[in-house]
This record gives sequence, structure tokens and C-alpha cells, in this order.
Amino acid sequence: MLEKVKEIARTVLAEKQADGVLGLMKGQWDIIQPHIFESPVEVDALVIEPKWLLAKMAMTVLRSSREGYRLAVVVRGCDERALTELVKRNQIEKERLVTIGIACTAEQAQACICDRPYPQKLDCGDAVAGVDPFSIESVKELLAGDGPARMEKWANILKRCIKCYGCRNSCPICVCVPCKLEDQVWVETGVIPAEVLSYHLIRAFHLSDTCVACGACQEACPVNIPLMALQLSMREMLRETYGYDAGLDPERNSPILYDLCKEPAAGQALPDWVNSLRKDDES
Amino acid sequence: MKILIFACKWCGLIGADGAGKKRIQLPPEFRVIAVECAALVEPDAVIRAFASGMTGVAVLGCHLGGCRFNDANHAAIKRLELLKTLLDATGIGGKRLLISFGTAHEGYQYAEVVKTFFEELKTMPSTVAWTASL
Repeated sequence: MLEKVKEIARTVLAEKQADGVLGLMKGQWDIIQPHIFESPVEVDALVIEPKWLLAKMAMTVLRSSREGYRLAVVVRGCDERALTELVKRNQIEKERLVTIGIACTAEQAQACICDRPYPQKLDCGDAVAGVDPFSIESVKELLAGDGPARMEKWANILKRCIKCYGCRNSCPICVCVPCKLEDQVWVETGVIPAEVLSYHLIRAFHLSDTCVACGACQEACPVNIPLMALQLSMREMLRETYGYDAGLDPERNSPILYDLCKEPAAGQALPDWVNSLRKDDES
Repeated sequence: MKILIFACKWCGLIGADGAGKKRIQLPPEFRVIAVECAALVEPDAVIRAFASGMTGVAVLGCHLGGCRFNDANHAAIKRLELLKTLLDATGIGGKRLLISFGTAHEGYQYAEVVKTFFEELKTMPSTVAWTASL
């Protein structure tokens, strides 16, 4: 698989489809780091393991490079979804982006609790089936129990927070400047642990319809807060009610921004709590 | 018990006003914040209200299709419904957030909504786990 990725990267560079390929490089002393390969000769040092989210980096590169600079990125499923979301949110120009999609292995999918471990534009590797996050024990346990029990469980977990902002910084889609989490109005600054409700729920809600379930927040967290579990129920709700999955369709905007009657596509039922609307719509 | 009510200027607030004019007896522990439209109530504001110790938050707006700002309350209801999912997942309980559109235009309707919400909140478990850490 690695050879095939290198082959594609060389072709992309040789045919001038892109000016650079962003991928991982095994450099001096076998240190693996992200690198922009700009000539086909360099590509020999390209590696694809371990998983490293490059979406945010691609955005930074594209923003700071000259106009018309085209970048190819070696992406996994989550990376591709993140890039799609960034394009939708006008952070990246679509024309300047080329993707080289690689599939994850079954073990990796299991480790990430990923339900779509392959990109839509798959260039090498075979797509393996995803894992249903709600069938995983640890997730089940977090979302189990009635109100107060669950509340206490989450309160205890979130109290560990040291407010390093790692979850925000590592998230490929957290791009707002200025950030609400740094604003005294929303989250009290200078307090550790972070205000449990404000900090975590505001962060989680801001990503409700954008979260691509890449797990970067969780990986970055130094105190092992299972942040993905916060996101899962909202992703599930969007999928069930609107049939919307963040990052899959570049043309479709988030359903929570739009009106209820027009947004559901043909054949899709309106959520049952607005059924009365149907009459308004027909008249 | 503390309740925060975000009332849209065109419906909820008129109801609140009417209830006051009619001198309907209401439980005293609620505060009303007037907003131009229910869509201006960011979910973040609701979260912030819970964080500052509110037992319940209510968002009262115009009925769907009757918003002064075209489809603004459609977006609002979608957002807040999604927020309920998050509140449920963390155990606060989506029921602590009342989304009521087009039900509080008259004084007596408003009183009814507020009273029912109070009764419902009374039956819910306390928020000690969250507030202790604040």
C-alpha cells in the first residue's frame, strides 16, 4: 500500500496536479513528522503510519502559501471528512486541494472506534467495515444509567480537566477566531479545573454538527476525558432525524442552520416534533 | 429552584406582560429575559444559564410559521432540540430545557406554561452533582 501511495504522490507531482504533497516523512533518526514533498525524488521518504490528522495543517499551509498554490494531502477517512467540512466553512478553497485517500485497517478502526474508516475517494487500500460506537463497552457505560447517576459520572470525569485547550487546538474543525472558550463572558478564565458545564458543553455543542469523529480531541487530552462520547449522541441524532453526516456531502450544509420544511430531502420524514408543520407547508 | 425564561418579544413577552396585567399568581422564582427573537438565544446561553445554577431554562417563541423573521425560529428549534440531546447525554436531562413555540401568547397561557414547567422541575432530581463542582 505504501508503494502505491508513493507512486500516486510522484504522479501528482510530476503531472503538476499539485505543487506539493503533504504527508508524513521518516526523516533523520527515524523521526516521523509531517512534511511537504515538492519534488518526486523526495517522495521516497514518505510513510503513512501512524495516524496523523493533517487537515488543520493543510489549512494552515494553504492560508500562508502563495495564491494558486495547490496542495495534495494524504488523507484517511476522518481527514477527508474534516477537509470537506473546512471547505464548506470557507476555510479552504476547494480548487487548491487534492486528496490521496488511504484506508485504515480493521485494527485501527477498532482503536479509534471509527464508523467510517475509509475516505470517499479511496485511492489505495481496501475499505474495511466500521465499528458501531454504541456497541463498544466503554461508550455504553458512559451513556448508561439514569439522569443523576450519569450526571455524577460525567461531573467526576470532567473535573479532571486541566484546561490545556488541547481538545480545541487539536480539533481539525475548531477554527474560530476569537474563540468563545477564551472569553470571560462564556467561560470564567483563570480557573482550574475549567468550569465543568460551560467549557465542555459549549465546546461540545459548537462541534455538534461538524464533528467528524476523528478522535483527535480524545487523543490530545492529557487526562483521558472521553470527549468523543459527548459528541456521539448528537451525531446519532442528526443522522436519525435529518440523515446528515458531517463531512460526507460537500454540497449539503448543516441541517440545523436551515428551515424545517425545506431542509429534509425528498422522501425524508420531518422530525415528529414538528409534524404540525406539514399542514402549513401544503397550504 | 431558579428558572430562566427567554421570551421572544413578539409572543412570550406579550404573554408574560398579560399574565402580569391580569395579576395571575405565579411561582416567584423565575426571571424573564426579553429577546428580539427566539433564534437569538444561542444554545451557549442556555448552557451558561445551567452553569450559573439554573434548575430550568425555558425558551418561548412564536409558533412555527409565525416568526417575524421568516424562518428564524425553525433554526432555533432545531438547534435547541440538538442541545437537548447533549443535555440528555450528560445526564442533566433535556427536560430541564423547555422549548415552547406559540403556546404562551396570552397571559393565562403563559401562566399555564410556567406553572406546568415548575411542577415538572419539582419532580426532577437535584443538580447537586454539577453545582458542587462550580
